[in-house]
Amino acid sequence: MEAIAPQIVFYFFGLPITDTVVSTWVMMVIIILAAALIRKYAPAAAEMIIEMINGIVSSVMPENTKVMKYLPFLGSLAIFLLLGNIFSIFPMMVSPTTNINTTFALAIIVFFAVHVYGVREKGLWGYIKDLATPIFILPLEIVSQLSRTLSLTIRLFGNILSTDLIVAVVFALIPFILPIPLAALGMLTGVLQAYIFTVLASLYIASAVEIEDIEQERRELKQELQQSS
Amino acid sequence: MWQLDSGTLITIITILAASIGIVLGCLVPALMEGNAVQKALDGITRQPDAANDLRTTLLISMALLESTAIYSLLVILILLFANPLLDRFFG
Repeated sequence: MEAIAPQIVFYFFGLPITDTVVSTWVMMVIIILAAALIRKYAPAAAEMIIEMINGIVSSVMPENTKVMKYLPFLGSLAIFLLLGNIFSIFPMMVSPTTNINTTFALAIIVFFAVHVYGVREKGLWGYIKDLATPIFILPLEIVSQLSRTLSLTIRLFGNILSTDLIVAVVFALIPFILPIPLAALGMLTGVLQAYIFTVLASLYIASAVEIEDIEQERRELKQELQQSS
Repeated sequence: MWQLDSGTLITIITILAASIGIVLGCLVPALMEGNAVQKALDGITRQPDAANDLRTTLLISMALLESTAIYSLLVILILLFANPLLDRFFG
């Protein structure tokens, strides 16, 4: 029962390696092999997967954003979480998102990605001006950014760890047939949480890079003037 | 008669707090999510063309509502399994 905390498996030059890190390595091998095989033997399947992710991400971003620029980041997030949340099914493996360090790392990556994409799209001064349009909103904006990161972390970690723990507890009590539907519930929760994480990340990126329509027209007029002169 | 040492006292209060916390923490989000589903189904009945948009919004909102239930579950799990206060008072 004390095994909520991740267990240390071995030491690598003095660094402790936990079981979630080993699971992440196995996941990396599986994803790379699957990507190489799909690319060589069934490129139509790869196209279908990418179109599905494109559809999911585009459904929450506003109309005229260029989704393709952000699709590599969001797509790899989606594939990592889709495999990672259900990884406890495999024997001797534990899902990497049961460790709060993994989910915290993903949330920090999303946090920095939002600001980097926003600055790249609008310029540093423009981005800060957009954040602080009524000037007293700025502390609220900063607090909301931090709380969004924290809530992404704890939502993913709590959901996946609790479903894992329920399966473990029921398996200790009634090991016969009852863990199977609970494990299926855990897999469903994992897929749903992967979808939610990706959708929330794309929402945050969309809210950071969206430009008001007036600004967009002004920019296009400026570009036309520069091209004609 | 009330010769409870501090470890036993902390355990008793932890059990009580955990049970009350988990009941409240599961009851309130479940009621509110039922409310949200009710309104969403009303919207789908009124305009079946908007069903896809409504479904996406409903799923995202329910996951966000569920996360508060998960916060309380997390605190209860930490209290029950990895209680830091038990060692601090030499229980």
